[in-house]
Amino acid sequence: MNTIFTPPLYIQRYEFVIDFVKENKPKKVVDLGCNDCTLLRKLKFHKEIELLAGLDIDCAVIRAKMYELAPIPTDYLQPGDHPLTIELYQGSVTERDPRTKGFDLVTSIELIEHLQLEDVDRFTEVVFGYMAPVAAIISTPNADFNPLLPGLTGFRHYDHKFEWTKVEFQTWALKVCKEFGYVVAFTGVGQIPAQEESIGFCSQIGVFQIDRSGGDAPRLQNNVAEEHLPYRVLYNVVYPSLCDSNIFQRTLVNEVLYWAETLKREWLEEIRGVGDEESEQTDEEGCSREGMDREESQTGEVERVEAGGRGFEVENEEVGGEGRTDMGQVEPYREGQSVCVPLVRLCSCPRVQALSGTVQRLTKFLLENSRVQLTNDGTAVVLVDSDDEDLEWDENFDNTGTGPFFVSSVENEDWETELGQ
Amino acid sequence: MTGRARARSRGRARGQETAAPGVVSLHEQLVNMLSISAGFQQVKIGERGGRRRDFHDAGINTRQAMEHVRESKSGFSGSPIELKANFFKILSRPQWVLYQYHVDFKPVMESRRLRSALMYQHEETLGKARTFDGALLFLPHKLHNTETVLYSETRMGEKVQITVTLTNELPPTSPVCLQFYNIIFRRVLRMLNMQQIGRHYYNPTDPLNIPQHRLTIWPGFTSTILQYESSIMLCTDVSHKVLRSETVLSFMMGLRQQSGDQRFPEACTKELVGLIVLTKYNNKTYRIDDIAWDHTPNNTFKRGDSEISFKDYYKAQYGLDITDGNQVLLISHMKKIGPSGGPPQGPAMLVPEFCYLTGLTDKMRADFNIMKDLSTHTRLTPEQREGRLNRFVGNIHQNTEAQTELNTWGLNFDNKLLSLTGRVLPAERIVQGSRTYEYNPWQADWSKEMRGIPLISCRPLENWLMFFTRRNNDVAQALLQTLNKVSTPLGIRMQRAIMVEYEDRQESLLRALQQNVKKETQMVVVVLPSNRKDKYDSVKKYLCVDCPTPSQCVVARTLAKQQALMTVATKIALQINCKMGGELWSVEIPLKQLMIVGIDCYHDTAAGKRSIGALVASLNQGMSRWFSKCVLQNRGQEIMDGLKVALQGALKAWLKHNNCLPSRIIVYRDGVGDGMLQSVVNYEVPQIMESIKTMGHDYAPKLTLVVVKKRISSRFFARIDGKLTNPPPGTCIDTEVTRPEWYDFFIVSQAVRMGSVSPTHYNVVYDSSGLKPDHMQRLTYKLCHMYYNWQGIIRVPAPCQYAHKLAFLVGQSIHREPNMNLDDFLYYL
Repeated sequence: MNTIFTPPLYIQRYEFVIDFVKENKPKKVVDLGCNDCTLLRKLKFHKEIELLAGLDIDCAVIRAKMYELAPIPTDYLQPGDHPLTIELYQGSVTERDPRTKGFDLVTSIELIEHLQLEDVDRFTEVVFGYMAPVAAIISTPNADFNPLLPGLTGFRHYDHKFEWTKVEFQTWALKVCKEFGYVVAFTGVGQIPAQEESIGFCSQIGVFQIDRSGGDAPRLQNNVAEEHLPYRVLYNVVYPSLCDSNIFQRTLVNEVLYWAETLKREWLEEIRGVGDEESEQTDEEGCSREGMDREESQTGEVERVEAGGRGFEVENEEVGGEGRTDMGQVEPYREGQSVCVPLVRLCSCPRVQALSGTVQRLTKFLLENSRVQLTNDGTAVVLVDSDDEDLEWDENFDNTGTGPFFVSSVENEDWETELGQ
Repeated sequence: MTGRARARSRGRARGQETAAPGVVSLHEQLVNMLSISAGFQQVKIGERGGRRRDFHDAGINTRQAMEHVRESKSGFSGSPIELKANFFKILSRPQWVLYQYHVDFKPVMESRRLRSALMYQHEETLGKARTFDGALLFLPHKLHNTETVLYSETRMGEKVQITVTLTNELPPTSPVCLQFYNIIFRRVLRMLNMQQIGRHYYNPTDPLNIPQHRLTIWPGFTSTILQYESSIMLCTDVSHKVLRSETVLSFMMGLRQQSGDQRFPEACTKELVGLIVLTKYNNKTYRIDDIAWDHTPNNTFKRGDSEISFKDYYKAQYGLDITDGNQVLLISHMKKIGPSGGPPQGPAMLVPEFCYLTGLTDKMRADFNIMKDLSTHTRLTPEQREGRLNRFVGNIHQNTEAQTELNTWGLNFDNKLLSLTGRVLPAERIVQGSRTYEYNPWQADWSKEMRGIPLISCRPLENWLMFFTRRNNDVAQALLQTLNKVSTPLGIRMQRAIMVEYEDRQESLLRALQQNVKKETQMVVVVLPSNRKDKYDSVKKYLCVDCPTPSQCVVARTLAKQQALMTVATKIALQINCKMGGELWSVEIPLKQLMIVGIDCYHDTAAGKRSIGALVASLNQGMSRWFSKCVLQNRGQEIMDGLKVALQGALKAWLKHNNCLPSRIIVYRDGVGDGMLQSVVNYEVPQIMESIKTMGHDYAPKLTLVVVKKRISSRFFARIDGKLTNPPPGTCIDTEVTRPEWYDFFIVSQAVRMGSVSPTHYNVVYDSSGLKPDHMQRLTYKLCHMYYNWQGIIRVPAPCQYAHKLAFLVGQSIHREPNMNLDDFLYYL
């Protein structure tokens, strides 16, 4: 029925909300009557939002697609800077649930017309009196527009309990403002050119903002002793983000180790001289010990990749003192069997810097983490030079017991005779 | 990204009609009706992605055609052993039946979505547990009447009459029910907050990281619910997904830095094409098929009626900013058919900055250090593996949401691993010339036992060359001396090699070969300065195609270790002898006039997606001489088309060696992917028979075709001294976890030193030999002893491994058919 508008009216309503979010950057948003979470799926891409909640009375429609709100693999691979929690509830907008308080934005898109009129009063009280969000977007059909909809008799949907005219909606809205201390702006989506003055929008929208003009009116502080949680949680998911200290630590450590290894490798190549065949051994392992090594790994088992002592061999050069200055070491240096990569140098890698900020902070984070080994003075990351240790896998072969399972071999068989052929 | 691709990326492809709706729904209903009348075989329940391929090769009944195994397919040799397997029984309430209903809407509702919405209004009648795809409704309980009439109302107030008619009662073993179990199980995994990548589910919250290589590993599980020999079971194994914590863009920038602007496009194509990527904005995987060098995010595509740039699109749709406006785009061809069976959709264009790589590149796979790091993370001992599996099933049992879902359908899983009995096949005696010996069965290796015993047959080395660079003069001399030392006890007579020095450049190595390798040269040994592939490839190319001569390459560094030189030289001496046609050892084969054939293939993704098929066939009773042939196939060609000719060649060679044709032929077919069994049975078996027929009208040997599968998720554990360990080599399993419609068995033939062993699955799809299952199993196991590049038991029968080795060499290095003069030698070892 909305096909007379392009894009369709429901899309225009969502876009209206999205534009509002882009402009006002609310941190906490709840969608009342979220249905199959279409609006929530669009809102989750807006980084400003930290808490996104949805409420609907029908748990089947929420469940139908709720897992599409889950983080996707890449959200885990590169956690975002901002936190995001998504919560879905089953419940009625006429009931108070403390978890819906303190939101920056409440949206109620084409919802109220599904309520009985006496429930609209309760809804009003719950949303504006109890939840008391900073802003609210309420949309509902405009009955004045109905004659323009081709083939429509009665309400637009069989479940609609009422459809308000422009005047009715505005009367209700202004009463809300007066009673609960909000200011409202009237707008809408879906217009027919030249008719907007008289008839207005197909979907009328009231954008309510809390009125701070008269100083902060003391919000009604509800009693804290609210143990009653009428809404049922259907889904709750916390997106991975760098605000989680575990994820932050892990991400930072991974970046630090990656860059430290990269810097180490570059430095080793440099001091060893480029063009040396030895240095190329790390990039391809084509045909070493032709047949055998490769064979062993193909004989089926990853388990069997030979430990032929690859990895780079470093000539026993004395480079200990090279490149050191007294004022903070910048290039990697060797200390015994290890290569040390100074934190100052690491901090110049953009990603490490972005995560840690300063060298001091980086040092502090790394000292808390056991996965990265630092020098005694805490100024550099210590890396093992190379994997010189040859794994002697033959040595720790523990399956040497002779079980009772083996029958000795059978001799001089002839299956042909056995088969009588 | 095209408009269509974009729509698909938002998930429109899931059966929501975009074509003329009336036509489609009629077609759809017609299809459904047909399938109902044809029984439930054709009925497919819509699944994520709408895949149609059956990865489990279910419903292909090959056993019923083989009379001798209809009653029993079990062997009896060996001693019984108590095992555990990674299978969990499905416990459903007694008489579990799925009821299939046909749903009719009056007036006809075109939108599937609307049809579902209308059905939603009748939860009290239909119950919570139901699956409805628009026309077919499945319920775990029976409605009161065979025909139920319901009334709904659309948003427009239109009254709709819905007639629900019972059409089928599906027993738990029906294919639809099995498909059903799998769908429900997937839902359960989703509830455990696991992420689906490809076909399996992974746990993203507890990753393992290998920061040096920017790798992230997610532990997860493969799972399949199928009808196994005696019951329906869940087979689940630990699986790891390797992901990269960097975007394709940052990978490309790194690559550009390494390879330089000039070589970048080539290097980039080589590294990226064929890899699977994840995107930042949707939960789909794409395969990179090409790179659009002339496209950047500023290019536009048609969205609705207007053009929009990729940059603007991603900003508007997902709030994603593109920071690098000059990056080229990636192309992914979509294989899947369009919505409602329409034509395939156009390629998807992907922005590298929003894509993450998964899996390993060939280069990483070849990097020993990466593989070592990876295997330390992913290799699990039997006990660790059992622990993870138990915890997994435990989690399902403890998760209330998951339990609710399972209970509504009346399903549940056993909470412990399946116990079953296997058999350990008798150990084999190794025959080496006049001597026979046994090996330690736990180690499945006889490199120590064979020391000092002469080989079956040796080719004297009279005219051979050794190439080396100046830098490696010392190691080359040391190798020569040591070879001399180790060859005498093996029985190999060795003259001094002609030593040729070459300059460390590919062209000069090739020139040295051209100048020195003569017709009478028996063997060429090349000491390579590094393991760079190009020199190796050019040696192999020249000596396998242009100037057919057996050759042996060895990297200098392998020879550098003094203490290992004896071992290395022994292996080289054995290898050289095999390549020239010598024979090392044998096992007793109690069947006469038997030809064993091994087939494998290699898919060259880089070079125009060519496939290489290799066929290796035995030439003698002791399985110590082999005929090998390799064919190159273009994309879309069946591998068997070329191998038919190769098989005829093998039969001719057999005739030449034995003065008769074999009376039995047993083909071990490796390299059959999931879901390809049908084509092996329907296409390859007749092709093989046809090929045999060309040898003469009255020639009718007994034929057996065995499909060999290494990549399977079945695992077996033995309890030894109270500890869960790998089953000993030779363990054979032919009950419970096999499939009732197949003549199949598992053998654990190899020993592994770390981690859990993977068994090999053998599926005899055609057999006119009359051999008892026990013979098939033992013969198969015997053949696993016959691979000359490993002094021990391997995972597959030797001819399969030979075929694999040959296909790999041709696919990786030679890229052409090797010279036929080499056919009778194991030159590719």
